[in-house]
Amino acid sequence: MSTTVVETHRPIWRRLIGFNLLTGIVFGVVGYYIGWFIGHHITGASVAYFSGIDQNDISVTLGYLLGVGGFLIGLGFGVYPWARIRGYPPSLREKETQGASRYFGLCTDHKVVGIQYMIGIGLFFFIGGLNAMLIRVELLRPASQVFPAGQYLTLVGMHGTMMMGIMTSAILGPFANYFVPLMIGARRMAFPRIESLTFWLLMAAGAILTTTIFFGGFPTGWTGYEPLNSQANTGMDSYLVFFALVGISMCLLGLNMLATIITMRAPGLTWSRLPIFCWGVVSTAILNLLAAPVLIAVLGMAVFDRTVQTTFFNPQGGGSPYLYQNLFWVFGHPEVYILALPGMGIVLEILPVFARKPLWGYRLAVSGLLGVTLLSWLVWQHHLFVSGINSDLRPFYMLSTELISIPTGFTFLCGLMTLWRGQIRFSVPLLFSLAWFFNFLIGGLSGVFLSDVPSDVTTHGSFFSMAHFHYTIMGGLVFAFFAAIYFWAPKMFGYTLNERLGKIHFWVMFISFNSTFAPLFAIGFLGQPRRTVTYAQHLQFLNDWVSISAFILGGSMLIFLYNFVYSLLFARIRAPQNPWSSVSLEWQLPTPVPLHNFDRIPVITGEPYGYGSPGIAAIPAAGPAGGSA
Amino acid sequence: MSSQPRSVEGGPAHGRRFLTAWLVLSLILSPLVAIYLGPAIPPGNGSVEATGQVFDNEVLVTFATPICIFVVLFLLYAVFSFRSRTVEIVDGPPVRGDSRIQIAWMVVTTVAVLALAAFGSYELLVDGAGGGQGPNAAFLPAGHSQAMDVQVIGQQWEFTYRYPTLGGLETPHLMLPANTLIRLHVTSLDAIHSFWAYQLGVKADANPGTDNIVYVTTKGPRSFDIHCAELCGLWHGYMFDTGQVVEQSAFTAWAKQQQTYFAPVAKYLPAYSTTYLPDPQRRAG
Amino acid sequence: MTEFAAHETDYEVVEGEPAELLGRNLNSAGHLLASATAFFFLAFLFAYFYLRSLNNAGLWHPKHVSPPVTLGTLVMALTVLSATLVRLGVADQRAARRPEWRLKAAIALAVGIGAIVVQVVAWTTMGFGPADGGYASVFFGWTAFNILFIVGALYWLENLLATAIRYRNVPVGADPKPGHASGDPGRPGHDIGNPLSLVRPGLEALSFYWTFLAGLGVLAWVVLYLL
Repeated sequence: MSTTVVETHRPIWRRLIGFNLLTGIVFGVVGYYIGWFIGHHITGASVAYFSGIDQNDISVTLGYLLGVGGFLIGLGFGVYPWARIRGYPPSLREKETQGASRYFGLCTDHKVVGIQYMIGIGLFFFIGGLNAMLIRVELLRPASQVFPAGQYLTLVGMHGTMMMGIMTSAILGPFANYFVPLMIGARRMAFPRIESLTFWLLMAAGAILTTTIFFGGFPTGWTGYEPLNSQANTGMDSYLVFFALVGISMCLLGLNMLATIITMRAPGLTWSRLPIFCWGVVSTAILNLLAAPVLIAVLGMAVFDRTVQTTFFNPQGGGSPYLYQNLFWVFGHPEVYILALPGMGIVLEILPVFARKPLWGYRLAVSGLLGVTLLSWLVWQHHLFVSGINSDLRPFYMLSTELISIPTGFTFLCGLMTLWRGQIRFSVPLLFSLAWFFNFLIGGLSGVFLSDVPSDVTTHGSFFSMAHFHYTIMGGLVFAFFAAIYFWAPKMFGYTLNERLGKIHFWVMFISFNSTFAPLFAIGFLGQPRRTVTYAQHLQFLNDWVSISAFILGGSMLIFLYNFVYSLLFARIRAPQNPWSSVSLEWQLPTPVPLHNFDRIPVITGEPYGYGSPGIAAIPAAGPAGGSA
Repeated sequence: MSSQPRSVEGGPAHGRRFLTAWLVLSLILSPLVAIYLGPAIPPGNGSVEATGQVFDNEVLVTFATPICIFVVLFLLYAVFSFRSRTVEIVDGPPVRGDSRIQIAWMVVTTVAVLALAAFGSYELLVDGAGGGQGPNAAFLPAGHSQAMDVQVIGQQWEFTYRYPTLGGLETPHLMLPANTLIRLHVTSLDAIHSFWAYQLGVKADANPGTDNIVYVTTKGPRSFDIHCAELCGLWHGYMFDTGQVVEQSAFTAWAKQQQTYFAPVAKYLPAYSTTYLPDPQRRAG
Repeated sequence: MTEFAAHETDYEVVEGEPAELLGRNLNSAGHLLASATAFFFLAFLFAYFYLRSLNNAGLWHPKHVSPPVTLGTLVMALTVLSATLVRLGVADQRAARRPEWRLKAAIALAVGIGAIVVQVVAWTTMGFGPADGGYASVFFGWTAFNILFIVGALYWLENLLATAIRYRNVPVGADPKPGHASGDPGRPGHDIGNPLSLVRPGLEALSFYWTFLAGLGVLAWVVLYLL
């Protein structure tokens, strides 16, 4: 393998009309109208079936699908397939030469894709968070004040759907893409173009979801339960297309991660020497790969029910709403572990660096991750305890759900014992990692309540469930997300994030997060159902407390945003190559990381996390010569 | 935890210190939680099933207390005791694990989980715990064959109630006799709703085409809040009501009064059935 | 940020990566895709048995719904035939009998397209529609997605066949002209060394996947037509 230097001087006008985001958007809009026109034409032509139903569902759905197709072609994803159809040989790398404009289109450099993901996910996280702020504004008063009932439900649905769809890739997208090849000693991901595809699919999906407001929104919340799903008007289609695209993106992302880690590890990097973050990625990727197809299938069924009048979920037509619930949660439960597992991988990766000790109980931690992966397939009916499913099955699902706390507990043991008798050095990533343990503890324990069927009868469908999953998902994943950003920003961007601002961000976020979500347990116990725009008068004080805390929580994100923009665009303080003195492989590379990552692929000769052992250099000498990670 | 394979030279016995502190705090706080926090946990004692749920939640919250204390105390202890006190970076001891601790942890967590699952199953077995059990309820309270049937019909966006024992009378408000075992049949006419009678500790999804059975044993007279607990469309947030538990005599009197009141429209109602399919479209072939 | 943006006029490119690396990737991908596909159709399998057991409103399988058994069997047989031909083509390709493998691949492609055509004919002549009850819904959904996946597999096959045809006169191990397929016309060389050698691992991965998909098709046939 060699690298050469090429001259590519392309004038601005050529860069603008070349395949990029701009042409992507243009082609996307054109594609939308073509699809809409075709759909209109199909239903206009008299097929006896379609009379009497809302014909626009077909137009809108086809419009979205062809719009996404146009978007991808406009980005340049059609160039390679077109060449391959004509028989040209395979190639892996595209558009890696074009400077800043690499970030605005298809680029096969996994480091570019990682940064694209970070910005893209940040954007949709912001939109979803804004929806949450609006929800809490509405809930300041018991009666509907600001948003009429339909708009409120759309806000609730958009918040949940945006978060669940976008944040599934919150860690795998930016950090796994950027660092997995670096941690395993590879020069690329297994399928770089597909990697870029997963990113742009996610972006298209997010854009589609935001267009729901133009079609009247959707009333089902993020779970999209039938038969309300089929009843809803055309705004529902954007939900279905969004989630289907997210599903495709997730499946391909999981495939790529697994193919990379399975086939591209450096010599000497056996499975038992793989960094725990990569194990977190593996376990998440397995769930991504296998659960997302079930989601796509059930959403496909829902689309068919809404367009061509199949009766999958219509009990009057031979179908059943339980089919939707079961299939959705067969996906849905692994989905929430897709959200939780990367966080576990991140905190277990970060703790050794700041405790200056190896990860305690490496094999136990790996078993914990894989145990969660396996068990997550066996618990889904705990979402359906009171729904009228076969009541004999409930003790089994209660047991299986409670069993999941055992492998989760392994994560806790390994993380806590890593700290024990360490030489702990405080930093913002460490603070977020420690907070992860606290938050996930509360989240996990409340999950035990919900897994217990009698207790679930009290709390199902109430704000208690909401508190539980916000503690695990936001308290777990989002805190881990920030831990990862603060930890890896010096390598990704080359500049240090301001530590003082980081600590302020952490404390404001941690305190306001707990202040927001802890009272929700009480609110749920006191009888407020989810997704309601009104509530009982006596709950107003608690709701106001929660809303004010939520506003502060939102404000803490702005502190982060300010830190991010200020540090990277204005202060621009160069980060040292290895600011945390980590012995992990990615920190042995120079900043910025060269296009090919490694001059020579290292040979791994020892265990990871060599802290405290003699002969392991924390700060590297010149160049990434073969040494243990 | 009292000795490490390769321990730091000297230094206090951190493990023993930590475990002692944890034990002491747990022994103090758990009973406090059980005695003071426990009984305050909703939904209260409005029915036998609700009382069961309160007990269940009490046990869980008492159980969760020492676990919480363990993790929080551990984090605080570790963060304070094991702070690096040097400016230059010094590594900690290269301890990669301790199989005794791992095994102990695995055993303790497994036993705890199995005990919880057994406890929960037992509570469920006793009377169904007020949760919807579908058409073939498996957890039947004693005396269930003499239970009084009441149907709850959810529709967008209101609950109505039918009494098969009163000739299929349908009323917009729920009235139940006190100290009676009642078998509720929850169903829906359109989307999925969920019948949540808060003080009675009853929650059962209303699924179209399904008869979701839930048992509740009422106690003394009281009123109770009813909310819809499953998002069912536009006015889901307004789908609430208040029900009453009244003495048997008051209930009979009320029933008679309702039957007379609704007599003119009774003939338009469909026959009582455990499910209703209001629009049996036959699709074009 | 300029280091990360790099100058427009010079930047490094990666070239000549050993082809066997992508070969390993493809092998892995074939298996991973197969497992994802299995889980996808598992959802329909679940739907079939679940709705059949519930038989809501008695409309699981109304009397007038009679599945197109002959045409459906033909679709299944054609996909199996296509997969078999690809398997035999793999053996030919490995033994460097290039014209034979190209012929088998071409026939397999045609047969696969034939399966799609037959399925479309079945849909238009089957005498019931997707709205005719639970079975009809599952039937329609399952066969529709089956065809979609078959299109994908055939597209993959076409890519391999087209490469084989385009370079049929190039001796084994030779390099094609630079600048093709990568979308970077200014590239001096290929980012993969000896990319034509990737036809074999690509074909082996496709063969695995296509056989798997045909197997899922047989399962669909058993469930939809025989049960």
